[in-house]
Amino acid sequence: MIRLAILLALAALACFGAPSEDYSFQTAQSFLNTYCQNCHQGQTAVGGFRLGQIAAPSSLRQEAQRWTSLSRRITGGEMPPKGAPAPDFAQREQFTHWLGKALRAEACANGVVPGPAPIRRLNRHEYTATLRDLLDMHLDIGQTLPADGAGGEGFDNAAETLFLSPLHSEKYMEAAQFAMDFAAREYKSRTKILVAAPGASGLTPRQAAQRVLKTFLPRAFRRPVTESEVAPYLALFQAATDQGQSYEEAIFYTLRGALVSPLFLFRAEPPNPGTETRPLESYALASRISYFLWGSMPDELLTDVAASGKLQEPAVLKKLIPTMLRNDRSLEFVERFIEQWLHTRELATDKAPDAGLFAAYTADEELRSDIRNQPVLFLRELLVKNLSLLQLLDSKHTIGTSNLAKHFGLKLPLNPGRTKQPQWIELPEGSNRGGLLGMPAVLAVSSYPYRTSPVLRGAWILESLLGTPSPPPPPDVPALDEAEAAAQAGQPRTTVRERLAVHRASPACAGCHDRMDPLGFALENYDVIGRWRDEESGKPVDNSAELSDGTKFHGPDQLRKVLLDRKDLFMRNLASKMLGYALGRGLTLQDSCTVDQIVAHVRENEYSAQSLVEAIVLSVPFRYQTGRVVEKK
Amino acid sequence: MTRKPALSRRSLLRGAGVGLSLPWLEAMASSTVPKIPVRMAMLYMPNGVNTSAWWPEGAGAGFQLSPTLAPLEFCKDQVVVLNNLWNAASKGGDGHYVKEAAILTCTTIRKTQGADLGNGISVDQVAAQRTGRQTPLASIELGVTPVAIGVDAVVGYTRVYGSHIAWSSPTTPLAREINPRSAYERLYRASYGPQGNAARMDKLLLDRVLDDAKNLRSQVGSADQVRLDEYLSVMRSLEERVARASSGEKGEWKARAPIDPNATPTERPGDHAEHVRLMLDIIATAFQSDTSRVATFMFGNAVSNVSFRFLEGVSAGHHDVSHHQNDVDKLRQYQLVNRWHIQQYAYLLGKLKAMKEGDGTVLDNSMILFGSALSDGNRHDPHKLPLVLAGGGGGRIATGQHLIFPEDTPLANLYVSMLDAFGATVERFGDSTGPLAGLLRQG
Repeated sequence: MIRLAILLALAALACFGAPSEDYSFQTAQSFLNTYCQNCHQGQTAVGGFRLGQIAAPSSLRQEAQRWTSLSRRITGGEMPPKGAPAPDFAQREQFTHWLGKALRAEACANGVVPGPAPIRRLNRHEYTATLRDLLDMHLDIGQTLPADGAGGEGFDNAAETLFLSPLHSEKYMEAAQFAMDFAAREYKSRTKILVAAPGASGLTPRQAAQRVLKTFLPRAFRRPVTESEVAPYLALFQAATDQGQSYEEAIFYTLRGALVSPLFLFRAEPPNPGTETRPLESYALASRISYFLWGSMPDELLTDVAASGKLQEPAVLKKLIPTMLRNDRSLEFVERFIEQWLHTRELATDKAPDAGLFAAYTADEELRSDIRNQPVLFLRELLVKNLSLLQLLDSKHTIGTSNLAKHFGLKLPLNPGRTKQPQWIELPEGSNRGGLLGMPAVLAVSSYPYRTSPVLRGAWILESLLGTPSPPPPPDVPALDEAEAAAQAGQPRTTVRERLAVHRASPACAGCHDRMDPLGFALENYDVIGRWRDEESGKPVDNSAELSDGTKFHGPDQLRKVLLDRKDLFMRNLASKMLGYALGRGLTLQDSCTVDQIVAHVRENEYSAQSLVEAIVLSVPFRYQTGRVVEKK
Repeated sequence: MTRKPALSRRSLLRGAGVGLSLPWLEAMASSTVPKIPVRMAMLYMPNGVNTSAWWPEGAGAGFQLSPTLAPLEFCKDQVVVLNNLWNAASKGGDGHYVKEAAILTCTTIRKTQGADLGNGISVDQVAAQRTGRQTPLASIELGVTPVAIGVDAVVGYTRVYGSHIAWSSPTTPLAREINPRSAYERLYRASYGPQGNAARMDKLLLDRVLDDAKNLRSQVGSADQVRLDEYLSVMRSLEERVARASSGEKGEWKARAPIDPNATPTERPGDHAEHVRLMLDIIATAFQSDTSRVATFMFGNAVSNVSFRFLEGVSAGHHDVSHHQNDVDKLRQYQLVNRWHIQQYAYLLGKLKAMKEGDGTVLDNSMILFGSALSDGNRHDPHKLPLVLAGGGGGRIATGQHLIFPEDTPLANLYVSMLDAFGATVERFGDSTGPLAGLLRQG
């Protein structure tokens, strides 16, 4: 599968690199002939890869896979191998930038395609939320499940990394038992489940059980269920009754089975039997929408719309989206999305500020929670109020609480009746708190636990905001200590800034550090936990920076302007991330055409938050299903 | 009724990196299972070591432990320090994921953000798949930190690779338990769990959902079938265990030592150190009771930057100090962090050594491997890996040595020898060239 992230990264260099516009297929060929020909030609070509295979322009379409993997190896510095003559950083970038653009142009020439839609297990958050809605009970039952890894665009709902271990099977059995024992005792859950009882209206236990199952199973499996699917569950009920269980015991036992069934644990869509792309079946679409915007099963309304056959109508979808976003459940979507997109979830693990140095943070649970919630609630407000997504880069508003006001050292216009409640507020003039970069969660997660790092913050901006991560350091980076020792001769102690200057003086490091470091320098006024500082270790903070194109700026406010100048790059990255989240898989080269369309739609709608969600839901990969691939003989 | 062989032909053939020989097949058929079972565990430490303080002085039996390994002094006669092993499959790629994910598989992972995970079967799982049915749990996978989140966009690997050393198939990493209490309860339940009628009801239920899975499987494409095969496989093994419990005949297995239901540990350890020890206790309990004979434990995920400021003299996170850049102070801190890990290893060894079993101890019948997938963390070097093996392996391991092999001896050779001592002989594993000379006692 061709990964999109890398190609986007390459395409994005326009902003911080300076690729030439007249780069052509011929230029690329001469680049390859210069650096790769020695090993990659003729019968004995290394790795079975011959330049001849990609010598014609048509190879950009026919051999896209080969081109992509080549691009990846050049970007990552794996090729040319150690010891062989290698292109310099700029040459490499010009090549990979051109290639990214060329491949995308080829891929989009034939229009957008739905792409893969693999079967996926509910991740543990989805599992918990689904049980909650299915049984109408509030229990964080998924806590006991192993955490899920992430794949694709970096989210834990990516189908490809939701594998199953023996540990899962045991946990699912226990959780089902626990949930059903709980439901059997809870009035609300019981009422929802026990829609029929034997005796009352002349029903036999078996008849009553059948009614219960016919109500419960379609909800658990998120689609209509046939008689032949109900029958084996009825048989299970019968077996339990035969063992001497009471009606209720047998019912809850049987439903336990449903909760361990792959039809509940997995989201499987009815396969497309034809070879042509077709609209996705309604119930499957309902699930896609609800797991996207709620992280849980469809509710009755959504199920009814699916049943009416109107769910595929764009007008219906456009009306549904704002309603669903206003629902409390959308908080789960926003939280899971933004905390993985910005990596702030890691504040709970590896990226937690050091407890010894930052007791103000660690010891104050309320403050910590306000800090974690701030970006989540901010994005949710943008979505609910349908405000501009560019407010993520700079905004006159933020989410405030009394704890945050104290943390910022600002007087915030909080509602006096509920100053501890997170709320949407207008920021005072010159607050330095507008947008994500003014939020402690972001500033902390892009720091070391014990000190700030301009490199980490710069790298974070490049990766998380702009979607243009720097390549890994080249394998033969000269040890910094030697260069440093020379530079430091006679100087007792150097600042981070001075040490980084040494780094950038080395040509092997400059390519990336020229990009990362300045962005981070501008944020030096924020400490690890995002408090404002004018001085560090007795010296005034130096927040001045210079981009490689010579643009000089300083401080967070001007950095925000620098980023707003690159808003299309930011939007493209945000759109890719959200599309990847919505589809629950890694994006492909073909998906980049869909991303183009989404970004265009959002731009036309003044970057309004709902227009992004709308464009994703209405997109071809979200609503359509690829046809069966006919095996080539 | 005849019992199924411990290993089906199918799962046997799945072991891509595993070569088979005729003697091995005979071993499978024969009943030369030793009376006291041999156990096998791997404790994985991320981020490599300060190599200047790791290697012992002297070779063979007359060696002296290094400053980092000094905590092993009390059982020096029961350890083997392995020198000059390397993992060729983990050369290249990035600095961490390729190394870590391959530490027990000796296979080069496929570079992916997730869409096409690819590794080999890990050595612990080769062992578990061979003997797993003899114990309630085929293997246990433990850790102290959850799976690392996200995709490493810089190097282009999903962090799933950096969070798993145990792989039951090339595409299936095994999830780890990180909650001490759940881990303990799991051992207890697996050993004493539902019996008789309750187990029978569980079996009926599992049969039901296995049918759902089979039906669903017949409707989906081949890529999706792989996922359902995973489901079928884990649910079937659970079903088999329940079936044994429901029939009242628990086979030949019986707990070798009782598991005390009142000794359940906390689910919220106070700090990293306590958490690690509670999880190591789980291994000791599992081995002593014979609930499982195979365990893997991860001190952290690849690139772990757990703060070690709780250690006197350490001011940074694990990954940070591993990038010492030859800074004297960082090297000193790095060594302290390495030594702390060895202390935890020593803690487990001490515990196993205190557990009497037959004429010896559980340690005598175990093989506890400690190691990292890198030597010098600053250079991400998979040569000359820091590895220590402890325990007698049922009398098979020639302990009390510093074994210096020819440079770049395959790590896989160690696994060939360990599998031999474990009673799951293979002819080949990964890039192995044979058993590890001098590790196993002759005869």
